[in-house]
Amino acid sequence: MSAVKDNPLHRLLVEFFELPANTRSEDISQQLLAKWDSLAMVQLITELERRFSIEFDVDEINRLRSYAEIREVLSRKGLVFEDSATLRG
Amino acid sequence: MKAIESGSLPQIRRALQLIRELDSQYRGRPMHVELLSTFNLEPFLPVLEFALSCIPSQVDMRVGPLNDIEGQITQSRFANSSYGLDARVVVWRLEEALPEVLYPFTCGFPEKVVTRVDQLLERVERLVSLHQRFSAGVPLFISTFSIPVYSANSILAAQQSAGLFGSIALVNRHIYDVASRTDGVYVLDLAFWAALAGKDYADVTLDFLARQPLSAHGQLEFAFFLARNLRPLVVPRRKVLALDLDNTIWGGIIGEDGVDGVVLGHDFPGNIYLRIQRELLELRHQGVLLVIISKNNEADARQAFECLPDMILKWEDFVVRKINWNHKYENLRAAARELGLGLDSFVFIDDSHYECEQMRQFLPEVLILNESSDALQLLRAIWETDAFDSLALSDEDRRRHQDYTVREARSVQAHHGDLQSFLQSLEMEAIIERVEFSNLERVVTLVGKTNQFNLTTRRHSRTQVQAMLESPGTIALALRLRDKFGDQGIVAVLLALCDSDQSTLKVDSFLVSCRALGRGVEDALWAATLERARQQKVRRLEAEYIATAKNAIGAELYDRLGFQRIRQDNGSIYYCLEPIAVPIIPSWIRLGQ
Repeated sequence: MSAVKDNPLHRLLVEFFELPANTRSEDISQQLLAKWDSLAMVQLITELERRFSIEFDVDEINRLRSYAEIREVLSRKGLVFEDSATLRG
Repeated sequence: MKAIESGSLPQIRRALQLIRELDSQYRGRPMHVELLSTFNLEPFLPVLEFALSCIPSQVDMRVGPLNDIEGQITQSRFANSSYGLDARVVVWRLEEALPEVLYPFTCGFPEKVVTRVDQLLERVERLVSLHQRFSAGVPLFISTFSIPVYSANSILAAQQSAGLFGSIALVNRHIYDVASRTDGVYVLDLAFWAALAGKDYADVTLDFLARQPLSAHGQLEFAFFLARNLRPLVVPRRKVLALDLDNTIWGGIIGEDGVDGVVLGHDFPGNIYLRIQRELLELRHQGVLLVIISKNNEADARQAFECLPDMILKWEDFVVRKINWNHKYENLRAAARELGLGLDSFVFIDDSHYECEQMRQFLPEVLILNESSDALQLLRAIWETDAFDSLALSDEDRRRHQDYTVREARSVQAHHGDLQSFLQSLEMEAIIERVEFSNLERVVTLVGKTNQFNLTTRRHSRTQVQAMLESPGTIALALRLRDKFGDQGIVAVLLALCDSDQSTLKVDSFLVSCRALGRGVEDALWAATLERARQQKVRRLEAEYIATAKNAIGAELYDRLGFQRIRQDNGSIYYCLEPIAVPIIPSWIRLGQ
């Protein structure tokens, strides 16, 4: 469980979408979350930019539709988040 | 607080939730606000609601459809219903309202651009009259246009009056005009806000993605700026600023450092206190009553007001002065009673943490303005406070100081007769000394800097004074004052020179330090001078008064001492006295030796 706690991206998404803390990361995606509409998308980008002090390129903006995608984009910016067995469930 | 610092949306939502769960008595008045904008405010609606809740107010905020300001005004369901709209806010920017000025050469510069600017000016007028027709009585806030953070070739744009910057200035000027001449129309000055917030407020990615131009940081800044502008609608401004003196309106402690030791002037750090005084005076002219609450001897404080050459604030700028050694909260409570105002009308500034803390504990209704004793922090606190915010200044505001001063004057008159007995009670003793080596330093200092009670303001150097002392017949006297508080040192100087046959004595310099003004020491010194003149068989005395910007207090001294005016030119008055009169010493001063 500690891996979940220590993963800032997972925590950000869980808080942002008001999900249970133990939500599996593969369950965090636009497809699965009704709340994740276009308004939430704008708010989420603002929040990610604020939290990690980054800006997204134009082609990155369209690849932020799930935990996995965001993790991938952030890792290209040098922000690597450990995915533990717990997270994968 | 954490939510305010971080700007994190989940934290702001949580904070907003907590505020809404509070008992409604802590949440301020209900406030229904309609926001009409040319860009997208929807994504940060919770941030706006949070900031307005912090006023505090029970905010209910409606955002109109994107970029449909006039349509919404004519159709608004909120404005004309029992919903009771408390404010309508129009927020717009060039990208939607006047894009032509961003590409002037594509858009028929200059004629067509000028036409488009004129149309926008008309749009402002039309918008105001639509609002008045459909939502009469509802306060309307119109934003100014900020300079876009992103624009190409801004150097060239600055060179033309119909260019980007010239056009913005013209439109904004019109908005200020319309608001200042129309009741109930106010300016939300986004141009000012953008300059203050800096480039960090913008997020160009989100602007293109969702027409939402603000970063998380910018959203928070914008929201609190909006809240501060709306706040005067629900929170009355504080009426009184009660302040300390030492280390607040001058640097140092007047009772200990004396007039020469405290810091106030054009050099650092005295210039900070000077600026504090300018800000306070401005507040007073805007209808904020100023009150002194200071632990000092009143005479010391008064002396600072009379003697510090750079004082901006005058004794009379304060409607109540509580200068004594009582607890400050007692003094403040008494001031509130005298002014007939509630404690929640008061703001308090004091460099001492102790005094601030005591005030906080005893009179929690009083707003403590400063967190720190540092001069610059005091100034910042004055700059940044919203306690005196208002959207308009009434005639009553501008008259307020006078109204209260008249009231105060009536109560002071009763005490005036006590002055003589007060002076008597000081047990003053004047010791007359010849100016000589031992006191020369102090005499030269006084000659060099006494401004007010100084009849000729001649700034003699040490060498010049020494030369006078060596000249035959010279009378050079210094007066040392002692009173029940102790030795006050040399406070007055008189230098008089004889002509060659020793029969005429001419007063070259006559001055009294400001710390001894109003105590009659000039009469004591004059008596001693006459005494010596008689001993020297002087037959005629001559004197002059040379007017400066500061020495009006001495203008009639020689008239009072029995001199006759010989002639007058350019602000100088020449006097003579012949034969020399009998000295009169004030009853409350004992001449010692």
